[in-house]
Amino acid sequence: MNTADLIFQSIAALTSPAEKAWIEEKLHADAKGISLAFVMVPRIIAKHSIENELSIITGWNWKNATLDQLVRVYFLLHLAEKEDGKSRIETLFDTAEMNELVALYRALPALKTPEIWLHRATDAVRSNMGPVFDAIAFGNPYPHTYFSELAWNQLVLKCIFNDKPIHLIEGLDERANQALADTLADFAHERWAAGRRVPSQVWRLIRNFQTESIEQDVAKLSKSEDANDRKAAELILNNSPLEAWKALEQVEPIYTA
Amino acid sequence: MCQNPNEAKLNPSHFEGSNEEHQTAQEVEGGFAAYTQGMKFFDPHVHMTSRTTDDYQALADAGVVAIIEPAFWLGQPRTGLASFKDYFASLVGWERFRSSQFGIKHYCTIGLNSREANNEALAEEVMDILPLFLQKEGVVGVGEIGFDDQTAAEEKYYRAQLELAKEMGLPVQVHTPHRDKKKGTERSMAIALEHGLAPHMVVIDHNNEETVKSVLDQGFYAAFTIYPFTKMGNERMVEIVKQYGSERIMVNSAADWGISDPLAIPKTAALMKIKGISAVDIQNVTYQNALDSFAQSGQINEKDFIHGLEIDQSLKFNGNTVLRGGQAPRVDKNSIFIR
Repeated sequence: MNTADLIFQSIAALTSPAEKAWIEEKLHADAKGISLAFVMVPRIIAKHSIENELSIITGWNWKNATLDQLVRVYFLLHLAEKEDGKSRIETLFDTAEMNELVALYRALPALKTPEIWLHRATDAVRSNMGPVFDAIAFGNPYPHTYFSELAWNQLVLKCIFNDKPIHLIEGLDERANQALADTLADFAHERWAAGRRVPSQVWRLIRNFQTESIEQDVAKLSKSEDANDRKAAELILNNSPLEAWKALEQVEPIYTA
Repeated sequence: MCQNPNEAKLNPSHFEGSNEEHQTAQEVEGGFAAYTQGMKFFDPHVHMTSRTTDDYQALADAGVVAIIEPAFWLGQPRTGLASFKDYFASLVGWERFRSSQFGIKHYCTIGLNSREANNEALAEEVMDILPLFLQKEGVVGVGEIGFDDQTAAEEKYYRAQLELAKEMGLPVQVHTPHRDKKKGTERSMAIALEHGLAPHMVVIDHNNEETVKSVLDQGFYAAFTIYPFTKMGNERMVEIVKQYGSERIMVNSAADWGISDPLAIPKTAALMKIKGISAVDIQNVTYQNALDSFAQSGQINEKDFIHGLEIDQSLKFNGNTVLRGGQAPRVDKNSIFIR
């Protein structure tokens, strides 16, 4: 079964007969009709939560998602196959409201030739709308597979800057790199100067990229008043395996007070 | 499109309350919130694009739980389709998100405003993209449309958009002109009826003492804009409710880039309470009728905001940069420290 079939199987299990019939009818429309169907989804399809994990593409996490999003992704897969599919999808991006943007970014890893949407994906990282950023950053294998090192580092840094949980980024540890480690150390210094901190799990990203300066940071961390910071220092100094960092996978307040 | 500075004059005091009422109103100036405790408000016409985040905080504090932002004129004419497209997209996108950060449910109406209908070449292009936006989630009507100078082009696109509204089963938010208002209002209603729209699907906006009777008699919703100098003052509004009751009457702020007041609804509610208007009537004109009229779009679910905004699963990571880098959502403005 291809991705679209797998998605339809999940959709069929969650929709009413009327909803299912509407989806099937719209699939026969031309590209313009499918575009409009994508927009109309919440007017027709209920926003049931998707309880079960969907194993469609590795790293594509549908936990906490809703049925309307899945149906939108399904329409996009069909739209991408049409002759003028690309320009139709560009228009959907240009005119999208927030929930539409979320569905568009969720769909990227499953679309035909995903790499042509790189410019859109990096736009999502620039977004100030939380759910839009989250749609590309979390439970989405797209950045891991297609982002350049620069774009990847920007994603991780922005995630930390906005106090979002980096452990939800797919491929976080595989794509750790020296440039990111150096930037994160600089960022931690800025936070410290402001009387703030970075979440302790951030230090997992420098574990394989220590420099003299970073070693000093770790020494400082091991004397922190914060138990999680001391734990992070311990994990680095003991060269603990990645699994040990699970204990620090949480959202932490960044104010010391 | 809601203020013409060249026409600034004080609200003519057509109706005036008793001296005693006047005195009380003077005394509570600035302290209106004491009279609106426990009330919730729905502002069906406010241009938040033109306002600051301070206004969102003030709205939330004053009990405004939901708002409708009609598409309008930005103060100068747009020169291309892309500016319209980006503007419409911002109403359903960024502005909606910004509002949600303050716990206020944001809806919008989408339409080609009357002033820019006069650029016919551009108007044609805008008409072409309107259906795409009108079908979007949370778009509760076609608006604000109608007459400004009452030109032939304005009439053409008013009619075309009424047809769209009818086709899609959406309510219409009708802007009535500043100049030649009474005739313009009558003409707007006659054309809506001619196109077969049910009057209960049409909200006639910016009414005053001269237009209200005919609007209500013909079965339309009558909206009143509480806006300093050019439209209604809220003392006059109280007298209207005393005279006409609260059926199909609603107030809005139409706050925009002009000297306007986003707190017009809570302030009017306070004044109505002081002046002895019943709690039911106050609720009808400051909340319920706005909700009932635009909920006919099928796009408003009161449960979404009545107990405060339900936080979407995808919002739960506190991810937004209206609040940057872990900022606390509220700051004490009197504090000398900025952290």
